[in-house]
Amino acid sequence: MKLKSVVKLGAVGAASAILLAACGNNSGKESTSKLVNWQQSANLTTLDASKATDNTAFGTLNNSNEGLLMSGENNTVKPGVAESYNVSKDGKTYTFNLRHSKWSNGKPVTAKDFVYGWQRTVNPKTASQYSYLFDHVQNATEIGKNKAPLSSLGVKADGDYKLVVNLTKPQTYFKYLVAMAPFYPQNESIVNKYGSSYGTNSNNMIYNGPFKVTGWTGTNDSWKLVKNNDYWNAKNIKFDGVKFNVQKDPNTALNQYQTGSLDVDTLSGKQQVNEFKNSKELNSQKAATTFFIEMNEKSNPAFKNTNIRRAISMAIDRNQLTQDVLGDGSTPAVGYVAPGMSKRNGKDFTEAAGTKTGVSYNLAEAKKLWAKGLKETGKKSLNVSLLSDDTAAGKSTTEFLQTALQKLPNLKVTSQNIPFKSRLSRSQNGQFDMVITAWGADFPDPISFLSLFTSGGSYNNGDWSNKEYDALVNNAENADANNASKRWDDLVNAEKILMSDQGIIPIYHQVVPRVIKPRVHGIQFFPTGSPYNLRDITLSNK
Amino acid sequence: MVRYLARRIFYLILTLFIVTTVTFFLMKIMPGTPLTNEAKLSPSERNIVLQQYGLNKPVWQQYISYIVNAVHGNFGTSFQFSDQPVSYLISSRIGPSLLLGLQAIILGVFGGIVFGSIGAIKKGTWVDTTTTIISILGISIPSFVLSILLQYFVALKWGMLPIAGWSGFAYTILPTLALAALPFAESARFVRTEMVDVLSDDYIELARAKGLSKFGIIYHHALRNSLIPLVTIVGPLAVNIMTGSLVVENIFAIPGIGEQFVNSIVTNDYPTIMGLTILYCFMLCVVLLITDIVYGLIDPRIRITGKKG
Repeated sequence: MKLKSVVKLGAVGAASAILLAACGNNSGKESTSKLVNWQQSANLTTLDASKATDNTAFGTLNNSNEGLLMSGENNTVKPGVAESYNVSKDGKTYTFNLRHSKWSNGKPVTAKDFVYGWQRTVNPKTASQYSYLFDHVQNATEIGKNKAPLSSLGVKADGDYKLVVNLTKPQTYFKYLVAMAPFYPQNESIVNKYGSSYGTNSNNMIYNGPFKVTGWTGTNDSWKLVKNNDYWNAKNIKFDGVKFNVQKDPNTALNQYQTGSLDVDTLSGKQQVNEFKNSKELNSQKAATTFFIEMNEKSNPAFKNTNIRRAISMAIDRNQLTQDVLGDGSTPAVGYVAPGMSKRNGKDFTEAAGTKTGVSYNLAEAKKLWAKGLKETGKKSLNVSLLSDDTAAGKSTTEFLQTALQKLPNLKVTSQNIPFKSRLSRSQNGQFDMVITAWGADFPDPISFLSLFTSGGSYNNGDWSNKEYDALVNNAENADANNASKRWDDLVNAEKILMSDQGIIPIYHQVVPRVIKPRVHGIQFFPTGSPYNLRDITLSNK
Repeated sequence: MVRYLARRIFYLILTLFIVTTVTFFLMKIMPGTPLTNEAKLSPSERNIVLQQYGLNKPVWQQYISYIVNAVHGNFGTSFQFSDQPVSYLISSRIGPSLLLGLQAIILGVFGGIVFGSIGAIKKGTWVDTTTTIISILGISIPSFVLSILLQYFVALKWGMLPIAGWSGFAYTILPTLALAALPFAESARFVRTEMVDVLSDDYIELARAKGLSKFGIIYHHALRNSLIPLVTIVGPLAVNIMTGSLVVENIFAIPGIGEQFVNSIVTNDYPTIMGLTILYCFMLCVVLLITDIVYGLIDPRIRITGKKG
């Protein structure tokens, strides 16, 4: 081959590449007037309700499908496929009365679809990572361990439109669970038809929610939710749908938001949030996620001393951390259980439990407690390492804490930021002195937080132990499970003990800062479970 | 030539096998599991799920079944994208990466050759200095800086091209430019250095004495002999660029494979890591083979014979 032909070949290659690209598609300038363009920071990984694990999947699923109930504002539930339901006096039997509704293929949604969907999620062969949410449903745990047949699961269809659920013990928050994706109905014939490719693209799926998913090939970066005319309440859907676009780079996403090609964008970091500080477009949502420090009493016995633990907590100025360091709208911790998640008699859980002891800043007092603690443990100084994620927030938090904590005399803190999976594995194996952990509630009930720190609990990595606390949490789940006010008191008192004994050190509650174009109204965001409801969106001409 | 090829293919398979094995065991050393919801699972719940994926078997058993499946063309299913075969994940996302890479390498290398040649011909003048400075900048400016600058000025400020996305040729221009900077600068530098040498050779003097036109001398004699070192670097560079760049793909929201590779490592998505490693390794081996053959085309002195191999 002569050089001339090499050149020619190159030119032909370049030309064909350009042509190929140009053929791609020309729909870049589609009409977006009645479509809401929404940024996602991660890919959609599945449409299979039994296998979904992340917010992108849950956000798409919660709006293309519907469970027995659905999340409403202020942590309430609204009727979904179930028009009504009643609970037996002992709190162990739930009966749901289903409305006559349809799948997007025109077939009716029946109680059998729920029985099948639940059995499929609990079936260990499905390897669902959320099957633990069924732990109160009769035999669910045994089925998960292959010790009971699938048919023994405590959910039965009584005719086509009545569903009876039997629980092993009362669970007041069961109503929130049935609004979540793992509890959605699934159609057996469709699951069998697609086999292992069920839910791996938008065509291998049927929907019973207000929207149908279109345009998802299984791995691509954009997909749509379009109005589902078979939805029982389709007449109240007032816009065409949502187009999700994966934009992983927050600056690119913000550029696109500012030029109008995105309507909803999640902000990232202090700088972006500051830019919208005084804008009406800023819409910050509490996430029911608390960041806290766990102290390892096994690796570092000094942490067994309450005064040491309290001194460390009191040396942290949480206002400074959230405002000056993080600056993304996160709020200083008011306790372990996140605020705005659970209310009784108009009072937020954090107000009811708020003793402030476990989260206040007082350096002088901290130094006193520290000196006392050191004396009690017979130590002159303490060297501890602080472990955290290698995210931007993780790094700035450890830097801040290192400086703050070293104001305690003779305390030396070294910090380590490592990738999430490594951090998790070291937390679980107890390979840390202090570790910054985050916990987000699955459902809006304080037990979702408080069940973690019972003695020997599998998430209790620091090994803090308090018998009174154990008893209170146990009562909330068992003896008082069916008595709302007693149960509330149990949980409030458990939180008080955890805070006054400083079993863990809460630092801040996460907030998700978003910007939304003024033309889009009526998006509902939820702190737990389903991230948002798009059913009530309306668009104005603004 | 046939014997030579057979031997090279044998080495290719051997290389693939070694790379696969090493990657497999390195991967298993990484802490954590591929489960997305791992933080919310208690040890017993985690075990139930891992059992279903066959991840609690001894590592050697997992290795053998992986190799057996891979030989049969089954690279497993991704953990990040639930139930999605790795082969589908790669084939559906590598297109944009390949296209951008190809455009960038063609633009970069041809641009670089022209630029480097001009620098060599005008050696010692301000033209040479300018081209040298530009190619040094091309090497030293990281692609993410260039991407952000291009996006900010060309797309956001001047509104000439789309900010990001993937729906037509216009969307490929900025990422192509960002990716082309490196091959452009590298080839300009190589071609300049080499051509400066070649231009002082006797046979160029002879060609001049024969009265050939300046263009004729550069094109037929000098350029061809300056390209050999370039061929050596362009192959691996092309593979590197065509397999996708995490940074450029993220900034321009390209539905490519670059980001998936990095993400598969962070999330312990073993089958995807393996599939992509094997693919990259294969591409690199093939490109190196092609490079060796191309040497012969450009310079008959290094033509491959069966004997020398």
